[in-house]
Order: sequence, then C-alpha cells, then structure tokens
Amino acid sequence: MTLNPAPTLALRGVSKNFGMTAALTDMTLELFPGEVHAIVGENGAGKSTVIKIMTGIHQPSSGVLEVDGAPAVLNGSKSARLRGIAAIYQEPMVFPDLDVSENIFISATSGLFLNRPAMRRAARELIARIGMTLNVDRIASGLSLAEQQAVEIARALSQDVRVLIMDEPTASLSAHEASELRRIARALADDGVSVVYISHRLEEVFQLADRVSVIRDGKHISTKLIADTDPQTLIAEMVGREVGNYFTKMPSTATSEILLSLQGLSVDGVFENISFDIKRGEILAMAGLIGARRTDVALALFGMLKTSAGTVTYKGHTLKITSSRQAIDAGIAYVSEDRRKMGLAMALPIRWNISLATLQKYLTPMGLINTRAEIATAWEYKQKLNIRTPNTDIAVGNLSGGNQQKVMLAKWLNMHPDLLIVDEPTRGIDVGAKAEVHALIRAFTAAGGTALVISSDLPEVLALGDRILVMREGRQMAIINHADASQESIMALATGQKDAA
Amino acid sequence: MSRLFSWEGFLFSCLVVIFTFNAIAAPDFLGISNQINLFQLSIEKIILALVMTFVIINAEIDLSVGSMMGLSGCTFGYLYQMGVPAPLVIVICLIIGIAGGLFNGWFVARLGLPSLVVTLATLIGFRGLARVMLEDRGIGSFPDWFAALGQRGLIGPVPFALIAFILLFLLLYVLLERSGFGRKTYVIGSNRDVADFAGIDTARHKMVIFTMSGLAAAFAGLLYAARVGAVRGDVASGFELDVITIVLLGGVSIFGGRGTLVGTLLSILIVLNLRNGMALLSITGHIQTGVIGLLLIASVVIPRIKLPTPRSLKPEAAP
Repeated sequence: MTLNPAPTLALRGVSKNFGMTAALTDMTLELFPGEVHAIVGENGAGKSTVIKIMTGIHQPSSGVLEVDGAPAVLNGSKSARLRGIAAIYQEPMVFPDLDVSENIFISATSGLFLNRPAMRRAARELIARIGMTLNVDRIASGLSLAEQQAVEIARALSQDVRVLIMDEPTASLSAHEASELRRIARALADDGVSVVYISHRLEEVFQLADRVSVIRDGKHISTKLIADTDPQTLIAEMVGREVGNYFTKMPSTATSEILLSLQGLSVDGVFENISFDIKRGEILAMAGLIGARRTDVALALFGMLKTSAGTVTYKGHTLKITSSRQAIDAGIAYVSEDRRKMGLAMALPIRWNISLATLQKYLTPMGLINTRAEIATAWEYKQKLNIRTPNTDIAVGNLSGGNQQKVMLAKWLNMHPDLLIVDEPTRGIDVGAKAEVHALIRAFTAAGGTALVISSDLPEVLALGDRILVMREGRQMAIINHADASQESIMALATGQKDAA
Repeated sequence: MSRLFSWEGFLFSCLVVIFTFNAIAAPDFLGISNQINLFQLSIEKIILALVMTFVIINAEIDLSVGSMMGLSGCTFGYLYQMGVPAPLVIVICLIIGIAGGLFNGWFVARLGLPSLVVTLATLIGFRGLARVMLEDRGIGSFPDWFAALGQRGLIGPVPFALIAFILLFLLLYVLLERSGFGRKTYVIGSNRDVADFAGIDTARHKMVIFTMSGLAAAFAGLLYAARVGAVRGDVASGFELDVITIVLLGGVSIFGGRGTLVGTLLSILIVLNLRNGMALLSITGHIQTGVIGLLLIASVVIPRIKLPTPRSLKPEAAP
C-alpha cells in the first residue's frame, strides 16, 4: 500500500454539535485509495457521527470535508454516492421482494424501461468481481445476511464506489461469513477503493486493517499503521478518558444472603448459559459492548422475554416469570435504557408516570384514584430525588434528560423493589445528574435493596459494581471482583481479546 | 395539560358565540323544545362519541360502530317480526354488540392487527349481516312502549335517550378522568410499551374498550329503532365518520393519549348548535357539513400553530 499525496476523502478539523451537545470536536481523518482504515472507539465515541458526515447525512458544524483534496459539501447520501462514497451497515438494506440484480441496480434505473438482460449480465459481473457465487435471479428475501451484504457491496460497486464505509458489518455474521466479508473488503482495497472498517472486534481489525484510528468522546486520539500498535495500546486509547471524582467507588453493602441466583439461563439465539448470584445489598454491574445481549438478560428476568433453558432461584424459591406483572408482584423492577420508547409516557404528567407501576396503591375500593395520595408521593420523590420541576402536573417530556431519568427511577423505587434492574442508568444525562443517580442507587442498596446495573460506560461500571459480569455476544465471559477489575481488563473481555476465565 | 385546557377554552368560546348568534337570529332557538329536539335528532351519534373518546384516547379507532348500530337495529326488527318478545330481543341485541366488540378487540389486542383494518372489515361484515337479514325490506310497527321510549318525553319533555346520554356522560366522565381504568386508557394510548413494562395487561384493556364500543353501538341501534319506529338494512350508514369528527373536534388526539370527555361534550354542543343555527338561517345541509369539515381542520391546525418549533429540530444551515 502506498499513500498518495491527496486523500480520497478527508475530514479536517470537523466539529459537529447537536444543540448544546458536541458529538465531534476538531476531528481529522484522511482516507487514501487502496487502504483499509479501521476506526475503533467505545459506544458513543462518535463513530456513527463520523459516518454520517462522510455520507452527507449530517453537515459539519465547522471544519471542512475534502474529496480528492478539494473542499466539498455533501447534501444527503445521494450526493455522497455521486462522489463515490457509500456505506453498508450491520443490517443490510435490501428490498425483500426484488431479485438480486434488481436490488443491485435499484437506483440506476435511467430511462423508462429496464434492460433486464443487460442488467443481469452486469449484476453477474459485479458479483464475480467480489468473488461470490450468487444467482442474480434469486429473490432477496431468501438471502442470508452475508449474501445481502454482498448485494449491498455490489450495489455500491455498480456506482463506481471509491470510499466504502462498512459499519460493524460482521457483527451479526457467523465466523465463516465474517472471514468471507473481510476477504471482499481486502479485495476492494487492492482494487483501489478506500475501505473504512468499523468494528468492535479488535482481532479482525488486526487481521484486516492497514491503519487504525481511535476516537474517543468525539475527538481523534490517534491514527497509526497497524504494525505500529497492538491491542493493549488500542484499548488503553479507547478507554483512557479522565475520570472525575464522582466515579469514586463506594464500599460494598452486600450481605451474605443470596437474593437471586441464575443457573444456565438461556434464550434461544439471543444469549446462553448465564449463571450468577446476587446477594442482598449488592450491586452487580453488567458490562459489555452494544450487542452483548445484557438487556435481553434483564428482559428475561422481568418476564418480557421467554427463556428456553435454565432456572432462576429468587428468595430461595424457583421462580418462573412470564409477564411484567408477575415480576413486579415478586418485587423485581426494571428501569429501561430507552426512556422514550419503554420508560416514560412523555406526553403525560410527571405524577402519572411516577404512580404508574404502583397504580393499585392509589385506588379506592371503587377503583377511583386517590389523587391526594398520588400527589403526596410525587412530591415526596420530587424532593427526595431533587427532580427540578415547578410542579408534578407538567408533561415529563418537558424535563431535561437527567430529571426524566429521576422520574423513571422514582416510578420504580416507589414499588420498593427487592431487586432493581437499572439499564444504562446515566445514558445521555449530564455529569451532575450522573453523580446524583449513582448516589441514589448506592442509597437504595445501603437500605437493603439489591441492584443489577447494566452499563456500557466503563467508569460507571467501576464506580458502581461490587462485582462485574462481562458479556460478549450473548455469552458470559467472566465475573470479576471490583478489586481485580480495570477498564482495560473489562474491555479486553468485552472485545474478545481475552478469553473467559 | 394546559394546552389541552386552552383548546377546551377555545371550544367553549366558540360555543358561546354560536349560542348568542343563534339566540339573536332565531328567537325560537332558546326554547326548551328546540334544545331537546336538537339532541334528540342526533342522540345516537353523540352517545357513540362518548365511547369513541375512550377508543381514540387508547390510540385505536372503531369504524364499525355505524354498522353495529345497523346490525343491532335490524336484528331487533327481524327477531321482533318473527315473534320473539321485545325485551328478550333487546337483550339479544346488546349481546350481539358485546360479541362484535370482543371480536374487534380480539383481533386488535391479541393478534396485534391495526384497528383501522380490523374495524373496516367489520364495518363491511356487520353491515352485510344486517342486509342479509332484512334484504330490501323495512320493518316497523314496534310495540307502543318501545316507540314511546324513543319518541316521547320520559320525565316531562325529556326523552329516555337524552336521560341515558346524561347518565352515561357522568358515568364515563368519572371512569375516564377519575378511575384507574381511565388512567390506563391514557397511558396505553400515549405509549403502550411503557404500560406493558409497568405490568398493565394492555391487551385485556383494549378488549374491554372495544367491547364497550360494541355495546354502546348496539344500544344506539336500539335507540334509533325506537326513535324512528322502523329499521332498514342501511340504518346508520356512515355514522362512524360523524362520530369520529365530533371526537377529534373535541381535542382528542388521533395518535392517542390526549383529550378529555369534556372536550367531546363541548364539541357535541358546538356541532349540534352550529347545525341548528345554520338550519334556522336556511343554510343547506351540504354547506353545514362543509363548515363542520373546516372546523375539524382548524381543530388539527390551531393547536399546532401555538407550538413553537424546538430549536434542535430546525434545519441547520450548511457551513
């Protein structure tokens, strides 16, 4: 590989703000023809914003995007495609009712009529060029995920792609399919295409990439030739942010009594063989990357996902939970990671949201709502959790993210659960609110509660978890005591750099 | 909620204007018999609007109410003519309403099909059953007590149907605005997943609401038979659209989770008085319908105008 003087595509000092939030700050990246350029970073580091700027979906707030050394403005993915920049994603976009050749030439229908024989011939050539064997007359709905991705790559090639961005393309593929895809990526680069390869799997980065860039918190950290770095260095660069003092770990309040015990819990095709104990008063943190299936374990415990094997022992008895109602009645609460979709009814008053999971407590024998008691509870939590709002009658959607998070916690704390499952407790909220939420979870366990905290934020995992369970792709990698855990060791397990202990 | 109250305030102001205008333009307007007559002529629709408010706040729709009214009215005529005693027939009709509502609810709540499609199908299906029963015949000459219930005053000049409407309004008002059932109706309509995660049996709740809707429609069909004194296969055809119009005009969001029964009541009063006032001014029915249509569009547009675009949603300038 030789580095030509003019990069095919470059970001120079690009920043991107969404409202008050800076998604990217002064990002500089250069892509040269013929290289596979890996981009790695933690969840939320800004990788997807980089892709969206490269493909014209977002415009930089400041800084310059260069194509072939000249500043360029890309308005939307179509304008990016015209410049030869295309992206394929983990979930390919194919039209299930069309055949392979129609899918490849979906946007190339110039003229009124399709020249089908020519189209099929061209499709066969493109498929052959990426070294696949695939009948171009097959209907797309019958294709495997890997074949669908091949169709997407062929589609990009049909439009003379010069920069192909692959966003976690192998995340849902089998090992064999993944190696086939990497072979295609390498072949394209040898053909002169700049391939951007985004992956959580460090081993494949080292197998495939020529250069690797690390981004963290929206900033460019490093770009190195693959020979000049190693996995340990990359991981350190990915996680090495400054840790504020709100991440100080408080002493464990765990007792000796086991509250919950999972034995080989599995959901077919989702996760398998999860086994752990949680003691009363303990915080068990679940770490892992997106797609590690931690949330699915929580959903299974909460009765929202049907388990296929394994047992749950809770308070000394075997427990079979098949609905959220049963879970709640058993004293299990689940605070969702997705406030908007599953956590809060945003258009409804704060007070209604707080009493929702415990509504029967506020009903008279006639089934009417005791509004006075409901208001009292809402104000109690407004004060206790420091929810910043003039009253509890306004729609919860009007609050800031941090205050919404507190309302969601109030909803579940009000049922006085034995087990509180909190999924991404501080996602998208500011540092001050983070500290408050951490203190709340601590106070809950100090008062005898038990918490299972799912977090993709490593400093948070280390600040909260008395023990840390690391998952990767639906499997339990290890359970580490807090004293033995570090960001690097967790990341190594989560990325598969270190095998299960 | 404040925005909602202001919509109701707006409706109330409209009502005052219309009322004043009517009273000046037509002195007979304020007479008790005119006011009762107003309600009496649309009594079935306004009863359906009360229950439709629950359906739409629950983020569903029931297009089959007009057909269920027809099915209930026609079943009454058909069985009565065959010699089945009228009280028994009334019970049968109400059971048909419950069954039809459960049918809708089962497909929507348990199978997860869109209510727009399911109730469009039953709109056709229920109507078909009614027509199969009566073919092209009209059936009349119901018992005197039944006709009297529909046509004469029960307490003074106030007929049974209007009393039923008032009682139903009070009952449903408490149910929607004060009870746990009503609260769940709002939450499920606002975000069903949130309700599911909070341990609410959302499927059962939706079944109950569709059953209420079917029962109310069957009841309305009987009221129609009593008031008009005869039924045909096309009874109440197209009523569902008038009913939905009233509910939406009352400020109930078609996306669910928003609206009040008071809004629906104000909307009922506006529509009735507006039509009456225009009739008194000899404005034809088609133009009346057009004016109601304009009001409906206004009801969708005006609450939007008052909302400023959030800053983050404004398109960003290119660099």
